[in-house]
Amino acid sequence: MRPESDEGAYRIVARREFVERLRDRGFQISTAITLLIILGFVVAASLFGGGTRFDLGVVGDGSRTTGEEVVAAAKLLDVAVTVHGYATEAAAEAAVKAGAVDAAIVDDREVIVKSQPPAQGQQLLAMIQAVTARERAGSALQGAGLTEEQIASALNAPPLPIHELRPLDQRQREENAVVFVGVLALYGQLFAYGYWVAAGVVEEKSSRVVEVLLSTIRPSQLLRGKILGIGTLGLCQLLLIAAVGVTAAQLAGILRFPVGAATAIGWVLFWFVLGFFFYSTLFAVAGSIVSRQEDLQATMTPLSLLIIAAFFVGITALQAPDSTLAIVASLLPPTAPLAMPSRIVLGQAPLWQPVASALISVTATAALVPFAVKMYSRAVLRTGRVKIRDLLRAERRMSS
Amino acid sequence: MLELIDLTRRFGDVVALDGVSFEVAEGEMVGFVGPNGAGKTTAMRIAVGVLEADRGEVRWRGKPVDAGVRRRFGYMPEERGLYQKMHVLDQLVYLARLHGLTPQDARASTERAVHVLGVADRVRDRVEALSLGNQQRVQLAAALVHRPEVLVLDEPFAGLDPVGADVLAGVLREQAAAGVPVVFSSHQLDLVERLCESVALIHKGRIVARGRIGDLRAADARCLVRVEVAGAAPEGWYARLPGVRVVDPLPGGAILELSGSVRERDVLDAARAAGDVRHFSVVQPSLSEIFRGAVQG
Repeated sequence: MRPESDEGAYRIVARREFVERLRDRGFQISTAITLLIILGFVVAASLFGGGTRFDLGVVGDGSRTTGEEVVAAAKLLDVAVTVHGYATEAAAEAAVKAGAVDAAIVDDREVIVKSQPPAQGQQLLAMIQAVTARERAGSALQGAGLTEEQIASALNAPPLPIHELRPLDQRQREENAVVFVGVLALYGQLFAYGYWVAAGVVEEKSSRVVEVLLSTIRPSQLLRGKILGIGTLGLCQLLLIAAVGVTAAQLAGILRFPVGAATAIGWVLFWFVLGFFFYSTLFAVAGSIVSRQEDLQATMTPLSLLIIAAFFVGITALQAPDSTLAIVASLLPPTAPLAMPSRIVLGQAPLWQPVASALISVTATAALVPFAVKMYSRAVLRTGRVKIRDLLRAERRMSS
Repeated sequence: MLELIDLTRRFGDVVALDGVSFEVAEGEMVGFVGPNGAGKTTAMRIAVGVLEADRGEVRWRGKPVDAGVRRRFGYMPEERGLYQKMHVLDQLVYLARLHGLTPQDARASTERAVHVLGVADRVRDRVEALSLGNQQRVQLAAALVHRPEVLVLDEPFAGLDPVGADVLAGVLREQAAAGVPVVFSSHQLDLVERLCESVALIHKGRIVARGRIGDLRAADARCLVRVEVAGAAPEGWYARLPGVRVVDPLPGGAILELSGSVRERDVLDAARAAGDVRHFSVVQPSLSEIFRGAVQG
C-alpha cells in the first residue's frame, strides 16, 4: 500500500496558487515596479517636503521691511518665505505673471497676485494682510499720540484661546494619512487579486484541467484553496510593500510616528483580508460562468460596478468619518474595508462597531461561500456562457 | 471489483444513461464501446465522481465509492486538460499530491511515470511547449502518477500516433497485469479487439452486450462467410441469393450471414458463377458485427 498524505487538499491547491503566481514573471515585475514607485514617492516627499515655502516680491524699502516681518511671522507657522526685491512695479508684475514669486508687495500700498483667490498663496496672502494691518494700526496709534509701550501692548494682545471639541492629535492625523493612502492603494489591489481568482477559474475551465482536478478533489476544496492561496500571496505582497514603504519613510524622516503608522497599516490589512474574502468568492462565481478569458470582462462588469460604487461611498465616508454614511459604510462588507480603518485610527469607532463590522463581514462571506461553491460546481463543467438564472434554477448537479 | 450499478442520468429531456450496470474485475481490461452519444463519457464521469448519477451507484471492492476512495482512481477525460503554463514535473507532482501522495512519494512516482511514458527529458518544459503527442503522454502520466487502484480512460487512443498507441497499449497491459481494473472507451473497434479480452457495448444509454469477446462470439449463433470475387462479377451478385443477408459489403464481395437453410457450398457455387473466387472463408463475427447484432437483436 502506498503511503497516504492526509494533508488537506485545499492546502495543496493553495500552495500551487501561491507558488505558481510567485514564479510568474508578470507578478515579479509588477511588484518591483510598485516598490520603485513607493520609494520614489518617499524620496520625492523628503526632498520637497519639510514645510510649505513661498516666494514674495517687494518693491520699495517700506515693502522690504514688511517682507521681513512676513518672513518672521511665517517662521512661527513653519512656513519658509523668501523675499525678492524688484526695482519697479512693472518688474514685480512680470515676476508674478511668470510665477517666479507667489505675490508681490508694491510700496506698502497694494499686493499683486496672479488671480484671486490665489491657487497656492492663500496662506501667504493672509500673513501679508495680518502684518500690514498691524503696521497700519501701529502708525495710526502713533499718530494718535500713544507711546511705544502702549502701542506694543495693544497690538501684541494674545490670540483667543481655542477650545477644541474633538482634539485630533498629530499622531492620529498622521495615522489617518497613512490609512488614506493605504486604503486607496488596497482598493486597487482588491480588484487585481479578485481578478486573479476569476481568471484562475477561467484558466482551469478553458484548459479543461478542471475535469482532472474534480476527479480528485471536491469543487469546494478547489475554490477554497484558490482563494486562500491568492489571498495569502496578495497579503504577502502588500506586507512587503508596506514594510518597504514604512522603513523608507522612516529613514527619510517623513514619519514622526512609525509605530502608529505600522498599527494603521495593520488595521488596513486586517480589513483588506475581510474584503478580499468577501469579493473573491463573488469573483470566483463570475469566473466559473464563462469558459474563455475574453468573456470574463462581461461577467465581471456587475462586480466592477459594485466595487466602484463601494469606492465612491467609501471615499465620501472618509471625508466625514463621523457621518451616518460613514458609520453605515464601515459596517457593510463591500465598503467596510474602505471606511472602517480610518474611523478606527481617528478614534471615532466605538469598540462595538469594528467588532460588529468584522462579524458581519465574516458571516456574509461564510454565507456566500457555500452559495459560490454551489454555483461554481454547477457551472464549472459546462462550456460556453452560463446564465445565472439557469444555475439558480438547476437541480443540484452538474451537467456534461 | 469495480461495479457500476443501475446508473441513470438525464440531462433535461435527454436520457443519457438508462440503468447502466457492469463490472470490471481486478486485472481485467474492458473496452467500453458504443457510438457517439451512447453514454460512454457520462458513465465514466459518474464512475470517477465528476458527475452525479440520478440513480444507481458505483462500488469498489464491495463498498460504495466516496471521495476518499476516488482519490485512488486514475482518470483521463476525453477532453484533455492540463495547466498549460505549468512545468511538466511540477504539474504531475501536484496532481500526485492531490491524489494523496506524500511530497517525496509524489516526486519519485512522477519520475517513474515520465520515464515509462518516454517524456522524462521534457519534465522541465512547460506543457504548452510540448507537441500534442507528448502532451497526450503527460496526460496519461497524470492518470497514472499516483499508482491508481482503478483506471478509467475516456478515448485514450484518440489523437495518438502508432508509436504512442503502442506505448499506451503496453502501459495498459502492464497495469492490468498488476491487478488494476482498466476500463477505456474507444471508437476503434479493431484496436479494442486486439487489446481487450472483454468488452461492454453501450447503445442509447443501455448496455447491450457485456462479456469476453470470445464468449460473445460463441454466443453469436450466426453463420458468417466472407467471400471475394474478382473479374467481371456483377455488383451485388450476392444480394440476390435466397436466405442470405449482407452484413458488411467489401470491395468485390461481402461478409454474408447465412440463414439455417442455406449452406456454405451454395454461396461458393454462386460466387464461382459470378467470377474468379479470390477469397472464401467461414468467419468469426468481428466486434463491430457483434455490436450490430446486439443493437438489432
